[in-house]
Amino acid sequence: MRETTVGIGSGAENVTELGTSDMVLNIGPQHPSTHGVLRLKLVLDGERIVSAEPVVGYMHRGAEKLFEARDYRQIVMLANRHDWLSAFSNELGVVLAVERMLGMEVPERAVWLRTLLAELNRVLNHLMFLGSYPLELGGITPVFYAFEGRETLQHVLEEASGGRMHYMFNRVGGLKEDLPAGWTGRVRAAVAQVRAQMGRIDDLVLGNEIFRGRTAGVGVLAPELVHAYGVSGPIARASGVDFDLRRDEPYLAYGELGDVLRVAVREEGDCLARFECLLEQTHVSLDLADACLDRIAGLAPGPVNLRLPKVLKAPEGHTYAWTENPLGVNGYYLVSRGDKTPWRLKLRSASYNNIQALTELLPGTLVADMVAILGSMFFVVGDIDK
Amino acid sequence: MAPLPGRGLAKGLAVTLRTMTRRSVTAQYPDVQPELPPRSRGVIGLLEENCTVCMLCARECPDWCIYIDSHKETLPAADPGARARTRNVLDRFAIDFSLCMYCGICIEVCPFDALFWSPEFEYAETDIHELTHERDRLREWMWTVPAPPALDPAAEEPKEVAAARKTADKQAAAAAAAREAAAAPAAVSPSPDSAEEQQDS
Repeated sequence: MRETTVGIGSGAENVTELGTSDMVLNIGPQHPSTHGVLRLKLVLDGERIVSAEPVVGYMHRGAEKLFEARDYRQIVMLANRHDWLSAFSNELGVVLAVERMLGMEVPERAVWLRTLLAELNRVLNHLMFLGSYPLELGGITPVFYAFEGRETLQHVLEEASGGRMHYMFNRVGGLKEDLPAGWTGRVRAAVAQVRAQMGRIDDLVLGNEIFRGRTAGVGVLAPELVHAYGVSGPIARASGVDFDLRRDEPYLAYGELGDVLRVAVREEGDCLARFECLLEQTHVSLDLADACLDRIAGLAPGPVNLRLPKVLKAPEGHTYAWTENPLGVNGYYLVSRGDKTPWRLKLRSASYNNIQALTELLPGTLVADMVAILGSMFFVVGDIDK
Repeated sequence: MAPLPGRGLAKGLAVTLRTMTRRSVTAQYPDVQPELPPRSRGVIGLLEENCTVCMLCARECPDWCIYIDSHKETLPAADPGARARTRNVLDRFAIDFSLCMYCGICIEVCPFDALFWSPEFEYAETDIHELTHERDRLREWMWTVPAPPALDPAAEEPKEVAAARKTADKQAAAAAAAREAAAAPAAVSPSPDSAEEQQDS
């Protein structure tokens, strides 16, 4: 990289015709390089970013307030929408919190099926970013391969739940309904197919010199910043923060999957490491899905849900449930006063914390790298703004 | 890093080349219709005969996009001694699909199976008001509702099948008891077929 600094003499800064002044550049809310409506307010000194401020809230839908006027089945419908790429995992956090409040024991088959579906959902989410990140860096092809894999998985998920994105398949006490006959076999085939195609992303993107040149060493996120900003998920693990709730505080059936679950960790903390983490996690999730299918085949026949009372009321009290969502740690702080609606349901979404780190990550970098860094933060604007 | 400069690019081009020799996976949508599973949530059909205007669907809908109007009708007494009965008559049943979030709660809560999912999805409109489907349009969707898929062998029996089995078992037990009672005097031999028939029904 060559930099040219043109000196124009001291005192020139006060002369408007000759002196340079910082430029404020808005990236978004409507901009081709942003996903959705995240707005970044950049202060530029030439090509270099002096300060960056993510301006959030353009897509605020008041999800938390809406939760307070919905019963627990309706909340599932709202909760799967804030992060539209990981709908199943979002539903999961809500029902886990309510089940904990009720002291409910979920049938074993439901637990394993939830684990399977959560992992398939993780693959779907990661494939989206594995495809869209090269797209932002100018490589148009990988997104088509990624979407081919997504389509394969979406098809089996639609067969079970009826939805391609908003599954609405979790219920307090289990799942909505049982699987169609022969579904597990088709999932196995879909997982095998996606796994067979994953090599294309390795070959096409990961080894590509241009891709490596634009991502290696760019946007290094220090582990201290990860801790300071509460960054989580693949982004935190790419900076060497080895924290994964699936392993460190197992929920669902993850406790029994310890031999399959490998946590992808990198030390570099740059854009390339974040991408590698995401790619490795996708492979692990496909293995986990296979392991779940093996276990489900061996389970005794049984129900996938519990009979619920007509009016479901969570007892008075509060609980905090957190899950390892595809993009990071999602937390649900549920406070109930014994009504059929929560008194408060605080949502801690991963993307919100993750993009705050941009304030520290962007200053000092060039505008051209901004896109690479922004894309590598793997966020969903709905998840930021809730 | 790749030892040879440009090796990564060559590898990528090889992927592209391999893909070029394969058939494309894209389907030309309006010409090729997607194959949708029976559970697909496309549109909601209404079977009016089953609706009792209990309003559960309209109340449980998270964004209140179901509109129901009804009035009470008094049926004249059947016998001179009986009292007149009132019943609800449905005047309007409409779902505003511009608001609908396709969660399926209305279908889940309907106690009389009046609402069903259909995988049909081609009902885009140029005017948003047209997306409010009135009862006649909702009824048309009813004829596109597919049969539900068979369940996984490890699944619990559907409650309809379980209820039918319970009734059948009860009838079979009653028939067996009747046969035993008949066999004891041995005077009148009941035809074993009738018991069998009853069991079948």
